[in-house]
Amino acid sequence: MDEIKGSSKQRWMNSVDSTLKRFPERKDTFTTSSNVEIDRIYDSSNDQYYEEKLGYPGEYPYTRGIQPTMYRSRFWTMRQYAGFGSAEETNKRFRYLLEQGQTGLSVAFDLPTQIGYDSDDPMSEGEVGKVGVAIDSLKDMEKLFDQIPLDQVSTSMTINAPASVLLCMYMAVGEKQGVPLEKLTGTIQNDILKEYIARGTYIYPPKPSMRLITNIFEYCQQNVPKFNTISISGYHIREAGSTAVQEAAFTIANGMAYVDAALESGLAIDDFAPRLAFFFNAHNNFFEEVAKFRAARRVWAKIMKEHYQAKNPKSWKLRFHTQTGGSTLTAQQPDNNIVRVTMQALAAVLGGTQSLHTNSRDEALSLPTEDSARIALRTQQIIANESGVADTIDPLGGSYYVEALTDQIEEEINKYLERIKEIGGAVKAVEEGYMQREIHHNAYETQKRIETQEEIIVGLNKYTLDEEVNPDLLKVDEELEKEQVKQVQQVRNERDDQEVKVALEQIRTAAKSDDENLIPHILKAVKDYATIGEICNVLRDEFGEYTG
Amino acid sequence: MRKIRVLIAKPGLDGHDRGALVIAQALRDHGMEVIYTGLRQSPVQIAQAAIQEDVDVIGLSSLSGAHKALFPKVIEALEQRHAGDIPVVAGGVIPSEDIPFLLEKGVKKIFTSGSSTESLAEYIKQLVQPNVDPIPAPKKIAHIGIAVKSIDSVLSLYTDSLDLEIENIEDVESEGVKVAFLKIGESRIELLEPVDQSSPIQQFIAKKGEGIHHIALEVEDIHARMEKLKKNGFSFINDQPKEGAHKSQIAFLHPKSSHGVLYELCQPEKGREN
Repeated sequence: MDEIKGSSKQRWMNSVDSTLKRFPERKDTFTTSSNVEIDRIYDSSNDQYYEEKLGYPGEYPYTRGIQPTMYRSRFWTMRQYAGFGSAEETNKRFRYLLEQGQTGLSVAFDLPTQIGYDSDDPMSEGEVGKVGVAIDSLKDMEKLFDQIPLDQVSTSMTINAPASVLLCMYMAVGEKQGVPLEKLTGTIQNDILKEYIARGTYIYPPKPSMRLITNIFEYCQQNVPKFNTISISGYHIREAGSTAVQEAAFTIANGMAYVDAALESGLAIDDFAPRLAFFFNAHNNFFEEVAKFRAARRVWAKIMKEHYQAKNPKSWKLRFHTQTGGSTLTAQQPDNNIVRVTMQALAAVLGGTQSLHTNSRDEALSLPTEDSARIALRTQQIIANESGVADTIDPLGGSYYVEALTDQIEEEINKYLERIKEIGGAVKAVEEGYMQREIHHNAYETQKRIETQEEIIVGLNKYTLDEEVNPDLLKVDEELEKEQVKQVQQVRNERDDQEVKVALEQIRTAAKSDDENLIPHILKAVKDYATIGEICNVLRDEFGEYTG
Repeated sequence: MRKIRVLIAKPGLDGHDRGALVIAQALRDHGMEVIYTGLRQSPVQIAQAAIQEDVDVIGLSSLSGAHKALFPKVIEALEQRHAGDIPVVAGGVIPSEDIPFLLEKGVKKIFTSGSSTESLAEYIKQLVQPNVDPIPAPKKIAHIGIAVKSIDSVLSLYTDSLDLEIENIEDVESEGVKVAFLKIGESRIELLEPVDQSSPIQQFIAKKGEGIHHIALEVEDIHARMEKLKKNGFSFINDQPKEGAHKSQIAFLHPKSSHGVLYELCQPEKGREN
C-alpha cells in the first residue's frame, strides 16, 4: 500500500514540477489571513481511492481537475459573452471589457447570423442586432475586431449551424492582421445536436450538419491547431429545463456522437479529441453543481480512455467553460441576481472550470447594460482575488457529501448514457425526441413546483415586493436594422460579383460530393465578401432544412 | 361545451421555447386544446394557422427582443384576413416600458417573466367565455357569527349544555374582537366578543343587543366571487379581502344591499379547508 501511495502522489508532484516551469504559481507561498500557510493540495491517506476515483490534479480520471496546479498558477479565463447591435458598437464593448481586465472575448451573434440569414432577408425582420451582433459579411467581422490583435486574445464564438462561415471570417480577419493560422486561439460552439434538443438555431438536417462539423475538425487539426473546434454544450439543455444530471449526461452523449462521426469520417481519435471542449451551466444548488462538474470530468475521461482507446492524455481531459444560469435569474428585484450569480460562479470555480461567464443582473429583462456587465465581471474578479478559494486545488475534494454526490451523479449519468445507447446513440435519440421529452417533463414539473411554492424563488413566489422598481435597460436602436440592411447591400455592390458567383458554385459542387472538405471553399467565398446568407442558402439548396 | 382552442406561437427566429412548451402543457391540463406552431413562424403563418385551426385565442412568445416589430404584425395579418376578433395575448422577455406600446397595437395582455400559468389559464377562460361562470358556488356555511358581550359568560351553554367542542379561541385584531369557534357538523358557531369600544361588534350590540351577527359562506375564489357580486350591483363593506381568523381571506357584503343579512365571504387558507 505504502509503495502505491508513494508512487501515485510522487507522480503528481513530478508533474507539478514540470508545470511550474511553464506556469509558475501566482505567489511563492499562499497563506490565510491568519498567516497559516496553505498547501497546494489536501489529500487523503487512502491512496487506492486516488488511483480508482480521484486522480491527483492533472491526472486520470481528473476528478480533482485537469491541471497539476489549477488556479495556483493561473485563474480561469474570465470570458463575458457580449454582443449587440452593430459590429462597431460591439467592438467598443469588447475593448471596454478588455480594459476592465477581462481575459478572453466571447461573441454573441444576432439570430439572423446564427441561422444563416442576411440582415435584409425577410426572415430577419425585427431580429437584426437584437440578441447579439449582426454579421453579414467579412466587412462586419473586420469592424468587430478592429484594433483587437487576434494573436493576443482568444475568442469564443457562439455559432453553430453556420460555424464554418464565421470561423472562416475569423481566419480571414487574422490573415489581414498578419496573424498566422497557427496562432489563432479560441472556440467555436459548433454543437448542432443541442440546437435540435434545446436551443433552436439549426439550419440543416443532422447528417449534413455532422459532416460540416467533422470537416471543421479535419481542417483545423491541419491548419488551425490551437483552435477549439467544438464546445459541446449542456448549458442550453439546462436552460431548457433539464436537471443537473440530464445536462451532463446528454452533453456527454452528444460528445460521443461527435467522436463517432469524426472516427467514421476517417480521423484518428488523438488527432481531434484534444481540441474538443465543453460548456456547462451553473445553477443554484451549490454542492450538486460542484459534484456535477467533477463527475462529468471523470465520466468523460473513462469513456475516452476505455471506450475509445485514446492514448494521448489530452484526449481524456474534459476542459470546460461555464456560464451561470440565465433561467435562474428573476425579473423581480433584479439586484438579487447578483447574489445568485456569485453562488453559481463559486460553484463553477470549485468545480474546476477553465473559463467563466458570469451573468448580469438584468438578463431576465433585457441585454445587460454596461454597468451590469461590469458588476458581473467584478463578481468573478472578487472570487478570484479576494475569497482565497483559488489558493488550493479542489478545496471540496474529500468532503463526504461532495464525494458521495460526485459518485451518485456519475452513476446517474451512466444510466442515461446506457439508455441513449439502447436507442441507438445521441443523433437517433435527438431525432426521436427522447431528450427533448425528458427535458420538457422536468421543465413542467419545475414550473408546477414553483407555482405551488414547493420550490421557493426569492422575490418571485416569496418575499415579493408590491412595487417593482424598473431598472435602466439597454436598448438596441431600432434604426440599426435599416442601417445594417443598407450596409450589406453596399457590400454586394462593391465586391466582384463574378468572383463570388464562382466561389459559391464551388461550395455547391463540394457539397454534392460527400468526401470533399467544404472549409477551403467557404474560406474562399468569405474572402470574396460573399455574405453569410448567400453561403448558407447554397447549402440549404444542397442539404435541405431541418423543420423540427 | 366546446373546449377552448389556443394557438401558442413563436414568431421570428427565437429558439427559446421552454416557456411556450410549459404554457402549452399547462393550458392542456386546464382542459384546453392547444396547438403549438413550433419555431420560426412569420406573422402571416401564425395568422393563417389561427384561422385554419379556428382558435379562440393566440398566445405569442418571444425572448429575443423582436416583440415590438413582430407582435403588431401578427395582429395586422389577422385583420387583413378578417380575423381581427381573435384575441392575442403575449409573453416572454418584454421590458415593462414596451407594454403600453403593445397594448395600444392591440395585444390584449402581456404576461411577463414570473407570471403563473394559473393566472394565464384563468385570464384566457374569462377572455373567451365571459358568460360562462367558472366560479364554483359557495360550498357550505363556514360559520354563523353570534355577537356576545362576554365569551366566558356564554360559553357554558355551548360546551356544557349543548356538548359542542371548542375548536379555538383567538383575537382577530383587524376586527377588534376575540372569537371562539365551536365545531358543529361541517360548520361552526363563532362567538364574537368586542375587545374595545371601536369594535363593530360593540356597535352592533349597542344598537341591536346580543344575537346573530352574520353568516359566513365558504368560497373557493373570493376575488372572483366578489367581482361577480360587484358586477351584479352588490356592494361590500371592505372592497378588498382582508385577513380573518385562521388566516382566511374574508370580505363582508353590505347588509343594505343584501336585505338585512350580513354575509361574510370566507376563503380558508390553502390546505386548511375542512
